[in-house]
Amino acid sequence: MKKRVFAIILAAAMTASLTACGGAAAPAADAAAPAETPEGGIRLVNNKVEVDEGLKKLAKAYEEKTGVPVVIESLGGGIDTQATLKGYYQADNMPDIFVFEGDLQYPTWEGLLADLSDEPWVSDTEAEYVADGKVWGFPTTTEAIGLAYNADILAKAGVDPKSITGPESMKKAFETIDSKKEELGLTAVLGYYTESSQLWWSPGQHIFGTYFDSGLKRDDTTYIDLFKDGGKLDMERAKPWSEMVALFNQYTDPAGVSGTYDAQVLGFASGKYAFVTQGSWIGATIVNDDKDAYEAAGSFEIGMIPYAFIEGQDTILTNSPNWWGVYKDGNVEEAKKFLAWCAADDGGQEILAKDCGFISPYASNTHSPDDPFAKTIAEYTAAGKTSSWHWLSMKEGIGQNATGVVFQDFAMGNFPDAATFLDTLQKVCENYYAN
Amino acid sequence: MENTLNKLLSPILLVVGLAQVVIALVMDIAGSKSEIRGAMLVLGIVLFFIGLYLVPTQKHHRKIVYVIFLFPLLFTFAVTVIIPLVLGICYSFTDWTGIKFSNVVGLSNYTTMFKDPAFIWSILITFIFVALNMILINLIGFLLALLCTSGLKGGGFFRASYFLPNLIGGIVLGYIWQFVFNNVAIKMTNNISWLVQSKTALMAIVVVYIWQYGGYIMLIYITGLTQIPGDVLEAARIDGANPVQTLFKVKIPMIASTFTICTFLTLTNAFKQFDVNMALTNGAGSVPDFMGNYLSNGTQMLALNIYNTAISKNNYALGQAKAVFFFIILAIVSLIQVRVSNKKEVEL
Repeated sequence: MKKRVFAIILAAAMTASLTACGGAAAPAADAAAPAETPEGGIRLVNNKVEVDEGLKKLAKAYEEKTGVPVVIESLGGGIDTQATLKGYYQADNMPDIFVFEGDLQYPTWEGLLADLSDEPWVSDTEAEYVADGKVWGFPTTTEAIGLAYNADILAKAGVDPKSITGPESMKKAFETIDSKKEELGLTAVLGYYTESSQLWWSPGQHIFGTYFDSGLKRDDTTYIDLFKDGGKLDMERAKPWSEMVALFNQYTDPAGVSGTYDAQVLGFASGKYAFVTQGSWIGATIVNDDKDAYEAAGSFEIGMIPYAFIEGQDTILTNSPNWWGVYKDGNVEEAKKFLAWCAADDGGQEILAKDCGFISPYASNTHSPDDPFAKTIAEYTAAGKTSSWHWLSMKEGIGQNATGVVFQDFAMGNFPDAATFLDTLQKVCENYYAN
Repeated sequence: MENTLNKLLSPILLVVGLAQVVIALVMDIAGSKSEIRGAMLVLGIVLFFIGLYLVPTQKHHRKIVYVIFLFPLLFTFAVTVIIPLVLGICYSFTDWTGIKFSNVVGLSNYTTMFKDPAFIWSILITFIFVALNMILINLIGFLLALLCTSGLKGGGFFRASYFLPNLIGGIVLGYIWQFVFNNVAIKMTNNISWLVQSKTALMAIVVVYIWQYGGYIMLIYITGLTQIPGDVLEAARIDGANPVQTLFKVKIPMIASTFTICTFLTLTNAFKQFDVNMALTNGAGSVPDFMGNYLSNGTQMLALNIYNTAISKNNYALGQAKAVFFFIILAIVSLIQVRVSNKKEVEL
C-alpha cells in the first residue's frame, strides 16, 4: 500500500509538472513580449527602435501628468512587426495602440481597429489614415522623398538647385558637376544605390514611387489606380521616368549595385556625392551615426529637389510612413486620450520633435527637430508643393520580391536601354499582380 | 476493503477530473478571462489520472501505468508537433491571413503555387543546391577528416579550426560573408560582387554553406575513421597495400555507415537551407528568361520562398500550402534515405 501511494504521488507530480508546462502556454506568450499592459494603463507597440528612448520619455511625461501608465514596446531590428503583432493577436496579447503601414496592412486589421473619426486631432492634420470614410490611424511624423543634395557642392560647382525643374536641366546640372568632379572631391555626382538584397526598398519602392506621384496633387490617384488594375504602367508618363533612371545610372557611383544603406548615407554625409537618392530619414543618420564624417565635410547645408522627370514637376513626396491604430478591444478610452495629448500638448509635441526627431504633421505644432531636412520639408509643405505616397498601396512585397531587382539589373548594364528596362518592369509588375 | 474503496473512488475521480478539464476548455474557448481556468485544467488532468490509476483491474493495470508515464511525452509531442501540423494543413485550404479566415478555398492555393514560375524556379534551384552540397560537403568533409587523422603536426588545432565556423549562427555568418563578397572579394572579380548576379550568387551561397557545414561533417568522418580497428589497417599494411588501396579497399568500406549518416544529414539540412540564404542575398537576383518570364528571385530557395510568401507578401494561406508541399518533399526524401541506408547496413 505504501508503495502504491508513493507511485500515485509520483505519477501525480509528473503529470502536474507536465500540465504546468501546458498551462503555462498563455503566460509564456506574454513572456515573449517584455511588456505587459499595466492595470488601467495602455501599451503601445512601435516599430522604430531608434525612437524607443524618446517614446519612453514621452510615456513618462504623460504618466506624470495624468497618472496613467504607458508602456512602450519597440519591435524592430529585423523583426517583422506585423508578423509579431499577428502572433500577439493569436496569443490574446494585443497592445492598446499599435503601428500599421497604411493600405496594405489595413485589411488585416479591418474590424479590429477603433474608429477615431471624432478625435480632436483629426481637424489639425491632413495626414490621418482614412478608409471607408472613417479615421483609423494617428499620423506620427512626416517623411519626404526627394532628391537630396549637398548645397555646398552645388554652390561650388555653380549649380542652382532651383534651376533643376525638369529632365533637361537635371541632365545639365549632372554634366556640369561631373566635369568638375575632381576639384570638388566627389566620387560620383550621385549616390544612387540599387543593391537588391537589403536596399530593395529604395529603388523598388521610393524611386518607383515617384512615377506615381511626382508633380501631382495629393489626392490624385490616376496612376496608382491604373497600376492596381493588374500592374499596368502608363507609358506616356513612365517613359520620361525611365529615362531619369537611366540618367541616374549614368552618373551614379558604380559601387551602388552592391553597396549598403550605411555606405550610401555615409558617402553623402562625407561629401563624396553631390546628390543622394534617399529621403528625409537619412537626416537622423547623418547627424548621429555619421556625425564625424559630416563635420569633417563641413556640416554642409542639405536640401531637396523634386524628382522632376517631366518639365515642371515641382513637388516632393511627403507622407506619414505609418500610423498608430487603437485596438478596439483594448483600453480604447485611455488610448484615445493619450493620442489626443500627443497631438495637442506642447510638452508632448516637444518630446516627439526633439527626442524622436518626428516632423510633426499637426498644424498647431510649433516644435521642429534638429534635422537637416526639417526646414526643407516645412518650406515645401507651406508652399503646398507636396504629393502623397501612393506607392504605399502597391501590392504587398512587390519592392522586395519583384521591382527592386529590375533596378539593380538596369544599373549593372544588363538592359541595353531604358525602353527594355521599362518593358521588363512592366512585365514583372503584371506577373506579380497575376500571381 | 481497499478494492471497494477503489471501485468507488476511481469513477468519481475520473468523472470529476474529466468534467473539470472540459469546463476549463469550454471557458477558455468561450473567451472567459477567469484566473481559475488554468488551475482547473491542471487539477482536472491530475484527478483524471489518479482515477485512471485506481481503476480496479488486474488485467489492464500495466497498460494504464504505461499510458500515464507516456502521457507527458505524448502531450508535448501533440502540442508542439501534431496539432500545429494538422492546423497548418487545414489552413492551407483556406484564405487565412494570419489573423482570421473567411473562406475555405479548396485546392486553389495549391494550383496557384504551381502556376507561379518564381516558385518553380525556387524548387529547381533548391534541388541543384542540394545535389551540389551533398556531393561537395561530403567530399570536402571526408578529405579534411583524412587530413586531420593522417598524423599531421597540429592535427587537433586544424580539427578545431575547421569546426569553428559551425559554431557561428547562420545569420551572422551570412552577413560576415556578405561583407567579404561585397568589399574584399570584389577586388578580385573586376569590381562586380559575386552577390549581384544570380549564378555567381548561388555559387557564393554554396561556398558559404560548405564553409559552415564542412567542419561538422568532417568531425563525424573523423569519429568513423578513428573507430576502424588498428589490426585491420596493420594487416593491410603487412599484405603490402599502398595508402590508396587501404583507403578504397579498407577504410571506405569500413565506414560505409558513416557515409550514409552524413549523406542523410547534408541532404535534409541543405533542403532546409534558410538563414545563410536570407542573410547573404535575401533571395534577390535576376533571371532574364525562365518559362518566358523575368524573375526577381534568382537565389531564393524553397524555405525562403515560403517565408517571403507568408511574411513579405502577407499571403499566409499560400505560404502554408507551400509549406505543406515542402513537408511532403522532405518526408519522401527522408523515407527513401532511411530505407536505402537500412539496406546498406544489413549488407555490411
